[in-house]
Amino acid sequence: MAEVVLDKINKRYENGFHAVRDLDIAIADGEFLVLVGPSGCGKTTALRMVAGLEDITSGTMTIGGKVVNTLPPKDRDIAMVFQSYALYPHMSVADNIAYGLRIRRMDAAEISRRVERAAQMLELGNLLDRKPKQLSGGQRQRVAMGRAIVREPQVFLMDEPLSNLDAKLRVQMRAEIAQVQQDLNVTTIYVTHDQIEAMTMGDRVAVMKAGVLQQIGDPQHLYDHPDNIFVAGFIGSPPMNMALGRVEAGNGDLAVRLGAATLALPGAVTAARPALAGYAGRDVAVGVRSEDMEDARLARGGDDLPRLRTTVTMTEALGSEIVVHFVLDAPKVVTEDTKALEKDAHSSDVALHDRGTRFRASFGPRSRVRNGDEIEVVVDTERVHFFDPESGAAIRS
Amino acid sequence: MTATNEVVRLGSARGGWLRQFGWRHLVGLLALAFSLFPILFVVSASLNPLGTLSSSTLIPPDTSLENFTKLFGTTSFSRWFLNTLLIGVLSAVLSMFVSAAAAFAFSRYRFKGRRIGLVSLLLVQMFPQFLAIVALYLIFAEITDLYPAIGLNTSWGLILLYLGGALGVNTWLMKGFFDTIPKDLDESAKVDGATHSQIFFGIILPLVVPILAVTGLLGFINTVNEFLIASVFLTDDSAKTAAVGLYGLISGERNANFGVFSAGAVILAIPTVVLFQFLQRYIVGGLTSGAVKG
Ligand SMILES: Nc1ncnc2c1ncn2[C@@H]1O[C@H](COP(=O)(O)OP(=O)(O)OP(=O)(O)O)[C@@H](O)[C@H]1O
Ligand SMILES: [Mg+2]
Repeated sequence: MAEVVLDKINKRYENGFHAVRDLDIAIADGEFLVLVGPSGCGKTTALRMVAGLEDITSGTMTIGGKVVNTLPPKDRDIAMVFQSYALYPHMSVADNIAYGLRIRRMDAAEISRRVERAAQMLELGNLLDRKPKQLSGGQRQRVAMGRAIVREPQVFLMDEPLSNLDAKLRVQMRAEIAQVQQDLNVTTIYVTHDQIEAMTMGDRVAVMKAGVLQQIGDPQHLYDHPDNIFVAGFIGSPPMNMALGRVEAGNGDLAVRLGAATLALPGAVTAARPALAGYAGRDVAVGVRSEDMEDARLARGGDDLPRLRTTVTMTEALGSEIVVHFVLDAPKVVTEDTKALEKDAHSSDVALHDRGTRFRASFGPRSRVRNGDEIEVVVDTERVHFFDPESGAAIRS
Repeated sequence: MTATNEVVRLGSARGGWLRQFGWRHLVGLLALAFSLFPILFVVSASLNPLGTLSSSTLIPPDTSLENFTKLFGTTSFSRWFLNTLLIGVLSAVLSMFVSAAAAFAFSRYRFKGRRIGLVSLLLVQMFPQFLAIVALYLIFAEITDLYPAIGLNTSWGLILLYLGGALGVNTWLMKGFFDTIPKDLDESAKVDGATHSQIFFGIILPLVVPILAVTGLLGFINTVNEFLIASVFLTDDSAKTAAVGLYGLISGERNANFGVFSAGAVILAIPTVVLFQFLQRYIVGGLTSGAVKG
């Protein structure tokens, strides 16, 4: 086992495309790091550079303290799980799993011991004689995992290993992979574009956009303290609501005007963000997570809490909560980040024509709001996020 | 007429069977007759003891194995036949291997001259090999002086020549097939610790067996049937291939040896048929299914 360090790693493809820029990540021994980001952001490229399948244009890559920049994959002591699984079609499951060991001329007794153990771990015992095409998607996925496990490598590399599975199986395999990684305690880099996988599996999550690392940290930290609009919008489901608001300096305290409503900010919020005072009289991007809003009728002791008045355009009852859609009469935030997010989600609010910003709030299940209802929404101002509307960076100190 | 009357049940209309399925049988029978006729004719000629072109009919008046005894008794046919098998098998197998290796490189590696290499292979292939026959003859005449073992009138020299001839088209054919095998397999093996040759022999070759079988079979058939170059290169009676030797039988007096010629032709067809039977089950695609999500 070993730590993996990427130091100022760059990748420029032969056609001049700069796919990864100055990537700095240090992955601790035994850590599960998830590399997440929208399609085309360079996750696979970064992973393949760790594997040695792609040349490193500049920077230093170390695995277990050893510089591996020019080392071929087989000498890096890594195992990789491919998105396509890449099982050898002409070999049985057992041979697939044992291939990496046979190639390395391990003795037969040890090979069969390891294959057996992996098969037991992954519940492949009765499938060992089958060919890959006789397996279901989930079983193929397990074989691919088995092939990596038996090698007992220093590092696991996984490139979207679950993206070919259906939703239910994905949830199940997610837990299994996380469990296996925990049991074996092998340093793991896991690539995905699914932020739920990132949140649930990773010890730490690294968010990338267009070849650049945006933020790295444990999942809850990324969720609670996103460094910029992109991370705020990418992590979390539904994504953070975001609208332009104006900071107003009243008698000592700050407030933010969001459309027709004015939200007074508690002293703790402004104290934690000294820089916010500097935005007085200017626009900021205001971010509110859906769970930080509540139906005013349900909010306890919320008579003096700031509220937004609006009309419900759609409701989605999920049982444990009701997701309420409405249009807030505040301008949309438009930055590089929001454009990237819209592209990733294949969505856009052009239909709104500047009438406002679509918001999603999750209300308690006892809320009985319906389409077309006039409602009042209370906002937990302690948990509101502020970003610079130009740079997209979080406003903090 | 009501709407229900217009419902046409499958094959219920008069002449429906013929129109729906029957014509396919007819076409099939015609094609069969067309391809069987020459075979039947040659077989019957080889059994016809009169053994002349003019006496040949589709149903021989009399049958005997006289032509076959004559073939082995009075000519060096058994020698020719062995030469043909040697040349056919070796050049098919070797060209299969050489082309597979070349196709692997062209499909998997990126190197200087890759495009030029591919294009020139194609260009060279456009000219029939016998255009170069004068040059080849001169080259081999020189080689015969230096290394008689691989010169004119040897099977080895001819094998060498055929190898070059088949390289281009086989490489292209195989490269197309290799390109359909996901690169993930190579990379997975690479990460597992396999060398280039282990990937080639252990992962890729087993997956391209169908195309190997096809090129091998075509190579064998071409070589067995090749006449022009062989007739220039092989003049010694003992070095001849069956095609050259048999032609010699009828080149003088076409009419007289026709029965013996036909007997040789029938025997010559046997290896190809056997080989085809044997390779048939490999000539199926779909071996790569299951490699990736399917
Ligand atoms: N061989 C190549 N030559 C040139 N550009 C490439 C090459 N491979 C990838 N790219 C580009 O580099 C960028 C990053 O690609 P990469 O495969 O790393 O994305 P990704 O983050 O893994 O995306 P996805 O989630 O879709 O797999 C993409 O814009 C892609 O078009
Ligand atoms: Mg990718």
